[in-house]
Amino acid sequence: MTFIVPIGPQHPALEEPAHFRIEVKGEEIVGVDLRLGYNHKGIEQALSDRSYAHGLYLSARVCGICNSTHSLAFTRAVESVAGIECPDRARYIRVIDAELERIHSHLLWAGIAAHEIGFTTLFMLFWRDRELSLDMRELLFGHRIYASGTYLGGARVDIKEKDIPQLIRTLAKLEKSVKHYIDVCTSDRTIIARCSGVGVLKKKDALELCAVGPTARASGVDFDIRRDDPYAAYDEISFDVIVERDGDVLAKVVVRLREILESIGIIRQAIDAMPKGAIRTKFPENVPENEAVGRTEAPRGELMYYVRSNGTNKPERVRIRTPSYANWPSAKPMLVGGTIAEIPIVVASIDPCYSCTDRVTIVDAETGKFRIMTKEELRRLRR
Amino acid sequence: MIEALGYVLAFFVFPGILFASAVGLLFAGIDRKLTGHMQHRIGPPIWQEFLDVGKLFGKEDITPAAANSFVFNCAPLLCFGAVTAVMLLLPINSSQPVLTSVADLIVIIYLLNIPAVCMMLAGYASGCPFGTTGSSRYVVQLFGYELAFITAALSVAAKVGWSLSLSSIVSYQAQNGWMVSQVALIPAAIAILIAAQGKLLRVPFDIPEAESEIVHGSLTEYSGPKLAILRIAYNIELFVVAAVVVNLFFGGPVPHTIGGVYIPGVVSFLIKCFGIVVLSTVIRNIAARLRIDQALKFFWTFPTLLAAISLFLVVVT
Amino acid sequence: MPRILPDVLKNLFRKPATVKYPKQRRELPENFRGKPVIDKEKCISCGLCVKICPDNAITLDEKTKKPRIWMGLCMMCGRCAELCPRKVFTMSKEFELATYDKYKAISE
Repeated sequence: MTFIVPIGPQHPALEEPAHFRIEVKGEEIVGVDLRLGYNHKGIEQALSDRSYAHGLYLSARVCGICNSTHSLAFTRAVESVAGIECPDRARYIRVIDAELERIHSHLLWAGIAAHEIGFTTLFMLFWRDRELSLDMRELLFGHRIYASGTYLGGARVDIKEKDIPQLIRTLAKLEKSVKHYIDVCTSDRTIIARCSGVGVLKKKDALELCAVGPTARASGVDFDIRRDDPYAAYDEISFDVIVERDGDVLAKVVVRLREILESIGIIRQAIDAMPKGAIRTKFPENVPENEAVGRTEAPRGELMYYVRSNGTNKPERVRIRTPSYANWPSAKPMLVGGTIAEIPIVVASIDPCYSCTDRVTIVDAETGKFRIMTKEELRRLRR
Repeated sequence: MIEALGYVLAFFVFPGILFASAVGLLFAGIDRKLTGHMQHRIGPPIWQEFLDVGKLFGKEDITPAAANSFVFNCAPLLCFGAVTAVMLLLPINSSQPVLTSVADLIVIIYLLNIPAVCMMLAGYASGCPFGTTGSSRYVVQLFGYELAFITAALSVAAKVGWSLSLSSIVSYQAQNGWMVSQVALIPAAIAILIAAQGKLLRVPFDIPEAESEIVHGSLTEYSGPKLAILRIAYNIELFVVAAVVVNLFFGGPVPHTIGGVYIPGVVSFLIKCFGIVVLSTVIRNIAARLRIDQALKFFWTFPTLLAAISLFLVVVT
Repeated sequence: MPRILPDVLKNLFRKPATVKYPKQRRELPENFRGKPVIDKEKCISCGLCVKICPDNAITLDEKTKKPRIWMGLCMMCGRCAELCPRKVFTMSKEFELATYDKYKAISE
């Protein structure tokens, strides 16, 4: 007979509230039901109420970890709508901002994943090295988390010559540490016992369920917006897209850690190739009627902003599709057939960002079930 | 009359509740401080476990409505009592423990299993799914480490001519050197150290109380004074298991004279126990947690085989 | 032999990576965006700051017509410092803004 283990809304494995109802037989999982929406903040409505300049700051605050990418995607969409091209130096500054954020996000994820499997030493060491990337963001842009490097029409601040040697030294330190961690994670017997063969997502499932980002790349799907639909200065920088075949948690760990090394290489190329010049062009107050889509490669996958303007200084409609929202359906084939012990690490391996996900209400069969449940619960409570 | 008073004093002060709690909580505090430094940060101060337990005693005592309150309330007290009773059966000061007539390896192993059984019952009686999952994992893990532990202990007993009394084992080591210096018993020493890590529920074997997976396993619904008693019991168990290992393999409480300074038996015993605790801390920090089926498979192959090899070598030679 | 073991043993003898805040403090870089500081002498009361603040945190005082920022809403984005025509605002390095009554946290 099946037994339901509730994970969430409060659980040590989850950073933010979400509700999983996992049906188990002994230790084996036979069914998963996912309920989101605890974090709904009404951001899309708020973006339609503010001008584009103010909306830029609000879009950055959708998510704390991928904030540069959100503002970059919004900027890309709005600049397409207005038909404005930003200057060359600004494109390279945007690249440096986005890649520093990718490093910090992947190191944060690696620490959380290590904590889920009980390896607290690695958790502390990853987060110690993450401080180096946050110090760099503070040095270059003025804030550790909300760097706000982009601006409508260019970049917000310029990168000064005297900061570059410290950036290069820190990148060298980070590279050495991350190479050592890749070595540890692929050779440690307990990590391999917990991560290898666990939470496998086959390539067919990844393509059918539209998984994006490192979750899909670890299953063999070779797709990266930076290479396939280039933005900022990515078409002038050469880098590898890391793809693994196995699709288990260990493959996802390896993909993300190797992407940190690629990011370090990208930043070095950007520093060398950055042209001199202005960092901003004039951006009009009122944007003519148009609609456009801006896509970027967030640390978690493909992030899409749809913007429609109506001639005033406020957008008519902004629609955000975050990578975490696209990756949730792939949690089900990964979990069913496994054991309870694997739930935290498998859910963490999608790198879910709950804030990013819950800006919309889920209006499909799931909500229908939920509504009925609520009535029953209310009836029970009334007795 | 005086003898009974002596036993009561021994149970409450030395080597009973006061001494065992003080040393156990101190060892746990040092373990947390060392863990902090190994992870390149400052850990809590050494007195942190005392402060934690003191804070918990001041909290409200709550029993959940869905729990079986008789089992839920008695389990911590039974754990604590059993573990402290073992202290009276171990040679700590000299090769004679306090209760000489019943000091037997079998009694010690049984008494050390009572906390495990109590925690399993408490988990099932908690009335929450995390407690049930934690207890079922505990049952499986008990089958894993107990076999290796008992086989390793038996190989030491076999060496002393099949005597199960700890005092005779300690006296034998006082004359012939530590058990671990005999080549035939080195595999058993390794096996018992691994089994001890499982017995103490520390990474890589803290599966029944895996914090990130099932909140706190059997202990989830405990809070306030009951949790304080459980924590003291766990920390005394840390000291007791290290003490058993030291008595079996590392010489026990033998006084030494190094460089003209006389070190009494108790001090050398505490230093050796501390060494075992530090070893357990290092292992705790360099591994991830295993899954329960992987842990069971591991226990029944690696440590059990080592202990069996030792037993075979001792019996044959 | 686990590869993490040399790290762990080496860390035992190194100085911890912790900065013992608040007894020790880190050097802040010069771009750091802390609390905005207002120089009232330079202000010409044009009212631009009120319009450009994304949080509507800046108000002009009724009598003196000089700006005042309520830190409960300010997100320290730096737009006021950037766009003021007379450079009335500067982003200081102050970030320890905890207070018992948030309505008293005003920068003017």
